[in-house]
Amino acid sequence: MIGLQHWLGLSAVVFTLGLCGVMMRRNVILVMMSIEIMLNAANLALVAFNKHMLPGPDGAVAPDGEVFVFFTIAVAAAEVAVALVIAMLLFRRLDTVNVDDVANLRW
Amino acid sequence: MGALLFWGAGAAMVLFTLLTVSSRNPVYSAIWMILSFAATAGLFVLLDAHLIAVVEVLVYAGAIMVLFLFVIMLINLRAEEHEGLRLNPLAILAAATFLALVTRALQDLGPAVGSAPNALQGSPAVVAETLFSRYAVAFETVSVLLLAAILGTVVLSRRSHER
Repeated sequence: MIGLQHWLGLSAVVFTLGLCGVMMRRNVILVMMSIEIMLNAANLALVAFNKHMLPGPDGAVAPDGEVFVFFTIAVAAAEVAVALVIAMLLFRRLDTVNVDDVANLRW
Repeated sequence: MGALLFWGAGAAMVLFTLLTVSSRNPVYSAIWMILSFAATAGLFVLLDAHLIAVVEVLVYAGAIMVLFLFVIMLINLRAEEHEGLRLNPLAILAAATFLALVTRALQDLGPAVGSAPNALQGSPAVVAETLFSRYAVAFETVSVLLLAAILGTVVLSRRSHER
């Protein structure tokens, strides 16, 4: 029997892989792809929660979790569009996509 | 049958995600990521969220990954700049701590919550009704956000000749 724990466990494993990608990759595009992986894992958790949500007073389950996933996907699309332009500008001006080369603002 | 599909699609998702994160060539990473999104769409179908599964394939595996591939091709890294995972002990510690915390939290989740899946109506009509009634304001806000992203992209990518 596959319960909510299994879905959340799978989501957590994928999220951790994305977290490892953000922390261990130096290519800025791979870092963004890892962020997308983390958002995707959160989407999976949201839909799984929705599936196991208790029904409302009218006996129907509101698809709130699925609506949240819509918003996550829309925000992810907006974020990717802007972030990829920033990566392009980075490459055009500094000729690098390595995040370690762009640490001027770091204290 | 459902359990078998869950383990199959779940293992595929984890495997493809691992390959995405660890591939040295960014193009391979993008291709593995498309497969990972396909596995996720299969998992959404298992959760009866059919509309979300279609949107996942259309927007994520379609539009967003094409955007990624496009930029990877434009940047066109030299082969010697390809670099895999840089194993950082602090990063491994952070990831392991996160996973341990989540595992511990999941153990507290009672079986009463976990073992009663309801017949969720993931049909487009039901989702759309909620989206356009209770979440109408949020929906309009997202449209403004997308407009802001479009404007930001255009302004950023315009070559500044005046300087």
